[in-house]
Amino acid sequence: MARHIVRRLLLAIPTLLAVFTIIFFIVRVAPGDPAVAALGDYASADAVAALREKMGLNAPLWQQYLTFLGDLARGDLGRSLISQKPVSEQIGFVLPYTLELTAAAILVGLALGIPTGVLTAIRRNSAIDYIGRVFSLLGLSFPAFYLGILLMFFFAVKLGLFPAVGSAPFSRPLENLHYLVLPALTLGLIETAYIAHMTRSVMLSVLSDDYVRTARAKGLRERVVLLRHALRAALIPIVSLVGIFAISLIGSSVLVEEVFARPGLGKLMVGATKQKDYTTLQSIMVIYALIIVIINLVVDIIYTFVDPRVRYS
Amino acid sequence: MKWRGSLTAMLALAIMLAGTMVGLGGQASAQDAADRPVLRLGVNAADLATLDPHYASGTQDRTVVDMIFNGLVRYAPGNSAEMEPDLATEIPTPEMADGKQVWTFTLRDDVTCQAGPDTDAYPLTADDVVYSLQKSANVDRSAYAGDYAGMTVEKVDDHTVKITMDEPLSPTLFLPKVANYAGGFIVCSKAVEAMGDDAFKTHPVGTGPFAFESYTSQNSVVLTANDDYFRGAPKLGGVEVRYMPDPSSRELGMQSGELDVIAGVNEAPWVERINSDGQFQADVFGVAEAVWVNFNVTAAPLDNPKVREALALAISRDEHAALRGEPVSELIYSVVPAQEMPGGLTKEEAEAAGVLYEQDIERARQLMAEAGYPDGFSMDLVTSEMSDYRANYEVLQAELAEIGVTINLNVVDHATMHEQIRNDVNPIVIYVAFRPNANVYLTNFFDSASIVVTGSAPNANFSHYSGIDDLIEKARTETDPEAQAEIWKEANIQILKDLAAYPLYMQNLVYARSPRVDYGHELKSSLALYPQITEQTTINAG
Repeated sequence: MARHIVRRLLLAIPTLLAVFTIIFFIVRVAPGDPAVAALGDYASADAVAALREKMGLNAPLWQQYLTFLGDLARGDLGRSLISQKPVSEQIGFVLPYTLELTAAAILVGLALGIPTGVLTAIRRNSAIDYIGRVFSLLGLSFPAFYLGILLMFFFAVKLGLFPAVGSAPFSRPLENLHYLVLPALTLGLIETAYIAHMTRSVMLSVLSDDYVRTARAKGLRERVVLLRHALRAALIPIVSLVGIFAISLIGSSVLVEEVFARPGLGKLMVGATKQKDYTTLQSIMVIYALIIVIINLVVDIIYTFVDPRVRYS
Repeated sequence: MKWRGSLTAMLALAIMLAGTMVGLGGQASAQDAADRPVLRLGVNAADLATLDPHYASGTQDRTVVDMIFNGLVRYAPGNSAEMEPDLATEIPTPEMADGKQVWTFTLRDDVTCQAGPDTDAYPLTADDVVYSLQKSANVDRSAYAGDYAGMTVEKVDDHTVKITMDEPLSPTLFLPKVANYAGGFIVCSKAVEAMGDDAFKTHPVGTGPFAFESYTSQNSVVLTANDDYFRGAPKLGGVEVRYMPDPSSRELGMQSGELDVIAGVNEAPWVERINSDGQFQADVFGVAEAVWVNFNVTAAPLDNPKVREALALAISRDEHAALRGEPVSELIYSVVPAQEMPGGLTKEEAEAAGVLYEQDIERARQLMAEAGYPDGFSMDLVTSEMSDYRANYEVLQAELAEIGVTINLNVVDHATMHEQIRNDVNPIVIYVAFRPNANVYLTNFFDSASIVVTGSAPNANFSHYSGIDDLIEKARTETDPEAQAEIWKEANIQILKDLAAYPLYMQNLVYARSPRVDYGHELKSSLALYPQITEQTTINAG
């Protein structure tokens, strides 16, 4: 196992290097001038030129690229072109909010999606199945920002149960959780639809397998057949799916972060893109690339626990 | 079936989790029992850019620095047409000495610089004023350095500052340089020197009614009342500025009682909707941004005056203004809006000068034929994705199609549009901007030195126009405000005669508030681009 992890990490190095190079040049090829974005349209050409020089944008591109790689190798993500604050500080501040939101959304998705999927599979073509499938379809087709606004309207404006907008620091954990509920539900309910849909399909397939029929023929109780045999086998593709969901959630959480006015990695990236803040933008993408590599690795490891056939040596 | 029991248990667990979270509501909503209320303001931005007042250009940044800093003079809160003393005891009358104009300001002796992260509070002196205006004039430390060329600032004594202008200026042009706007904000020198320019961008220190307390990235800036403020302790305990780019979120935040004032949507239907139920109050106020069309008078086929006139006659001001609707939009008849400042043309004045150019499609087609373009022509234009720009370009596209002109629009992000139009990619540029006086409008957009790319000091002369250089200079050095305004009007008429530009409308600002919020002043116009929170602002008990 340890050798497998090390091998996967080593393999990730050329991948990450390629990603970093592409990221560096893509953000600079895109038109737009960070100095103009920072100073606004009132600033004179002299002021813009002075700021460009200060930002280091007049250095040759290759020199900027080597500086970027060198800094990265030392773990230095540089300073924001706009605020001059260390990028690592900015990312360090917002990343926990994004991870918290992603984890909570997955938790909601699993807690609601798996039971719904199993229930609709074993009650195939019943009223429960039809209702479950309609809700899944609704979830699959509902834009996150719209669901967010609906939840805000009912739970914050009408019922006053949760705050509509903002966030609380982690030093106030209860308040932080209170602010997390509506954004997590927004993303989580959509994930629920995906997971329920997937769970139902996989369970239907597994329930018709020979070994399930054999288990039933042996006289095992239905609960044991479903939970110990069928569901365990169904969890393998679901685990894989959750990994993909986690990656897509980190990216798509930006809409929820915008609607609920929460700090987050996606929101930071959108702001950096608008302001042409190259250093912040490329650093966020580096972090995204690292997160994807790590999530894939974690999914691989989880496989070994849910599927005894998978063993790394 | 027992498995059903397990599934039910999992569902119950999920519901319990949600229930537990609901139960937390009471704790989070508990607020500190402060003596004075804290005003919560939702602004239309994802984050701040800089709180150094000499760089602040975004609306969200101007909002915060307005509460922290002062100028020697200030625009009256809520009425930017009136100027009054701020850090100075009075607005001086200039004197001439050795051919130069001298303005001598006496400073109040009760002004305190707020404490900074590395400095204690201290009395403001002339040293701070000299330091601050010199910083504003330094191109490496200010975005507004160009406005301070030809100005020398000297300390006479601790409470007297002498400002010498190489060329005499009228009060209309001089006072904005030392007012509470852009480079005129006075920073506290000891605090800036102690922390450095970069740190100052996220920890401003000034003399205003509110002091910086904290900044949470992408979330908020918290200001506390500066009880040592020279006009008296603020009625509010502080202000929390929250960064919320989504208008629906801001509105829902206000409806749920989490926000007291929000940046609204600059559209008449939104204003009507907010005001219709009586729960909240939407305010429409200046200063307004002017919206106009620039024609490149040197690029074919627009170098033909008949073509420019045809394009102008194809345009309907009303169609463009309808994008916002009254009272958010008001028609303008010169690029300098007459409603906002001296030097602009009213409808009557434009009509009398024969430069109204009201829509006349038949005449426009006739002019196109006379110019040799009976079948029209096509051109590619870049527009920003921002609705202010994109919607106006789309209306223009439809209008010009009526006379056979095909516009191919390339939509890019806002910063890219600004970069590209400054690289002269558009023969027609629609621009949306506020400038503090007619001189800045005319100099930035119509002085030959400001011609994009090729001008001696390239700025925003997208028209490549050079027809009013002498008038701009004559007005700049005219010290009588009334005579100066007449020269600016003359310049505006000339721009329209040459059709270097076609004015459309101006769009006002829109904010909404809880009716409990009392700004403490009448709200007509604000150069700070928000309703202005001062020491007089309060939230009445509900």
